[in-house]
Amino acid sequence: MAGVWVFAENYEHGLELLQIGRSLADKTGVELTAFACGDKEVGQQYIYYGAHQVFILPPLAEDQPLETYVPAIAEVARQEDPDIFLFAATLRGKEIAARVAARLNTGLCSECIELDIKDNKLEMKRVLYGGAALQTIICKTRPQMATIPVHTFTSVTDLDNTRQGIIKEFDPISSTPVKVRDRQPRAQESGDITRSRVLVCVGRGVEKEEDLKLARELAEILGGDLACTRPIAEELHWMPQETYIGLSGQTVKPELYIGLGISGQIQHTTGIRDSRIICTINKDEDAPIFKISDYGIVGDLYKVVPFLSQELARLKKK
Amino acid sequence: MDFKLTEEQELIRANMREFCEKYVDPVAVEIDENSRYPAEIIAKLAEMDWMGMPYPQEYGGAGLNYLTYTMVIEELSRSCAATGFTLSCHIGLASGPIYNFGNEEQKQKYLTPLCQGEHIGAFALTEPGAGTDVGAGSTTAVLDGDEYILNGTKTFTSNGPVADTFVVFAITDKTQSAARGMSAFIVPKDAPGFKVGEHFYKMGIRASQTSEIILNDCRIPKENLLGKEGQGFRIAMQTLDNGRIGVAAQAIGIAQAALDESISYSKERIQFGKPISKNQAIQWMLADMATDIAAARFLTYNAAYLKDQGLPYTKDASMAKLFAAEMASRHASKAVQIHGGYGYIKGFKVERLMRDAKITEIYEGTSEAQRMVIAANLLR
Amino acid sequence: MFKISLNIIACFKWVVDHEDIKVNPETNELVLDRAGYRISDYDRFAIEEAVALSEQYGGSTTAVTVGFPAAKKSLKDALARGPEKAIFINDPAFANLEPSQTAAILAQSINNQEFDLIICGEGSGDLYAQQVGPRLAEHLNIPCASFVRKITIEGRELIAERRVDEGIEIISMPLPALVTVLPEINSPRVPGLKDTLAASKKPVVEITGSDLEETVPCLETVEIKATTMERNCEKFDANEDDLKRFVEVLLRAGVID
Repeated sequence: MAGVWVFAENYEHGLELLQIGRSLADKTGVELTAFACGDKEVGQQYIYYGAHQVFILPPLAEDQPLETYVPAIAEVARQEDPDIFLFAATLRGKEIAARVAARLNTGLCSECIELDIKDNKLEMKRVLYGGAALQTIICKTRPQMATIPVHTFTSVTDLDNTRQGIIKEFDPISSTPVKVRDRQPRAQESGDITRSRVLVCVGRGVEKEEDLKLARELAEILGGDLACTRPIAEELHWMPQETYIGLSGQTVKPELYIGLGISGQIQHTTGIRDSRIICTINKDEDAPIFKISDYGIVGDLYKVVPFLSQELARLKKK
Repeated sequence: MDFKLTEEQELIRANMREFCEKYVDPVAVEIDENSRYPAEIIAKLAEMDWMGMPYPQEYGGAGLNYLTYTMVIEELSRSCAATGFTLSCHIGLASGPIYNFGNEEQKQKYLTPLCQGEHIGAFALTEPGAGTDVGAGSTTAVLDGDEYILNGTKTFTSNGPVADTFVVFAITDKTQSAARGMSAFIVPKDAPGFKVGEHFYKMGIRASQTSEIILNDCRIPKENLLGKEGQGFRIAMQTLDNGRIGVAAQAIGIAQAALDESISYSKERIQFGKPISKNQAIQWMLADMATDIAAARFLTYNAAYLKDQGLPYTKDASMAKLFAAEMASRHASKAVQIHGGYGYIKGFKVERLMRDAKITEIYEGTSEAQRMVIAANLLR
Repeated sequence: MFKISLNIIACFKWVVDHEDIKVNPETNELVLDRAGYRISDYDRFAIEEAVALSEQYGGSTTAVTVGFPAAKKSLKDALARGPEKAIFINDPAFANLEPSQTAAILAQSINNQEFDLIICGEGSGDLYAQQVGPRLAEHLNIPCASFVRKITIEGRELIAERRVDEGIEIISMPLPALVTVLPEINSPRVPGLKDTLAASKKPVVEITGSDLEETVPCLETVEIKATTMERNCEKFDANEDDLKRFVEVLLRAGVID
């Protein structure tokens, strides 16, 4: 079955891909196929959410990495020749997509942030040059492949338990020479900032590590989370890796983003472009971030932030 | 004439830039503020083979020509003129005379550790009563058996508080004029009777360390005489010729930094609804700055080129130093003007540049001394 | 320590310095002609890791790049960072390759080299497509681990700590293998002066497009435009009245309650 195929390493990202996959399939009048990794129940849910067909990949041995699926995915794609093949751009998803694309000798649009059908072709957009440019590309070979950053699309909501679909189970697949020796879950020091409704983000303008508490206080009053720029996490190690926003870090889209002491380098701002409202507090009125802010306060964050926290706390009590 | 730099020269310059970004820029403000000697940067410069760059590899140097060395000092001074000067003082003023006038034994013993950066060098010529008038010096050296005994006080000795090896000038024959009666000596800091005197706190290049040197019956082996007795004046003058190319490079680095800062500030600073770079008054200042920097660069690279070719370069080094120093001072001041009030605030780079620039008009021969040298060459 | 002697290939790309990219305000098109080029920052970590591993375990490093003739400038720069030799795969037609082509060209060129390990950056500084490494592994039919933050070698096995979305996965794989590395894996050295001078004397093997089978792009660029972010750009001062007004604006926008 050709049509639109989607692969995500977990259920939740699968539902996001089903959303965009459905809309592309409907536009081109083709069917939608989803992969489920080792879990038939997930496959059944995908059908209830609108997949016409589901491939159930067999469970993997404990020491096998997810990439073990690569040959099987590439093989079925070679046989069935989908029009479009989308992957959730998790870290593993990006590797799997690139390797499947290599096996199929086709093009892949990495971290595609917008996609649409034009003249029966998939038109894809992605950022280049550290976020400075937006490239629009089409893929001339088949399948037209893209990886989609997580949370780019909302999850599909149209659940219908009566939907019927084709479930295909894969034969067990041979193991790879890559063995997993250990898995260490991420320390849950922080929430997942890609889901935060409100984010307070700190940059180099915060002078000392203990000053983070000013920002944390503001975040708590707003019911939001604390995030940071790359140097705060990678150079100063004040905050965990997974809380930095930017090109090589997280992409966020909160309702409200408040940047404290952030100059606005493109590598950072490319990660906040989809925020609904961007606010900035910076004492340097010429900081580039003001140009991409909805509301900017020119002032010393050490004075402004405590005042705002106090004011917001006062309003809350009312 | 070929003005094109080689690929290797470009790469060496780029590597010094990378060095500066990683090791110098992060501390430049702090070492200026605290007049702190950046021992950690100097150790890194040593580790990465920059401390003896124009000297042969057999002495631990890198065998660069003087032109490339000049570009490196310029690049380092663009980030921190004090560090640039510390290095050019070590290489040009202290290691230079040992390389040019020392015998093989002296080179092995003193030049090699200087080139490897294990030792820091200093040049002690100036005295309280003898600045531009070098001949008025009153420090003496008397031969006593196998040793010279040195007495006197040197002042404004750059690297004085941190150096291990000093090139010291003293009168050995009072009956002669300074030009014939002065000699140069290599004095290690642990020589008996050698003492570092008062430290000076300066307006600019504050991270460069400056002090008095006190020689009180200071005894050194007679093998530490550099060249011959009576050659001191010539050694001093030739060393200063080399040094002047280094100061010119330092001045160009400062001016380039002033221009870099001014361009980026004027494009970002909005007044009356537009960036101030849209104002012709600012544009003309930037244009003048860039033009003078280019002119200074040609003068300086030309002096270094002449030296590399073994051609006379005294006049050219003086012209380069005179022009580069004065233009750096003038344009660092303009850069502060472009920055307005912010330029006068501590922590803004142009404030430091303006203070750092001034010294280039003074040391290693004031602008007036350079004009004397140039005129003397013209009227000969 | 037991010396293993590794032949390591570090891949790097000569990319436009995006700090230098200007935008034509009328057309919103990028102006690249005055931009400088540099070794992609991400690839500096790959080169450093290769050199550090060959220092630790014995062996040598070859730096490989695919580019257009002007990328020749990158070779000495790369060699100053520690590799013993470089391979320059060079053709005027290689100016705007897409990842599938770069990987195919690298694979053809590397295929007849002896190697134990290939290290790539996690992505390139210009396209950041993050495909060349995994694609290259597929072409060469060797095991692959991406987004690696630590590498150790045990005999003929490579142990890698790689980032995955839920945390860290520690994997082992037999050599020869390919890894793509994260910036956190090391802190690249700044080349010393003698390293730079020595770079000129190191061997460079040149391979040109005519030595290789032609590659065909799969993707077609429709357009490239500067990114724009249209925002309100309303500024407030830090006085009490302005800050209260700021809070009100947020309340009205419904983003706080």
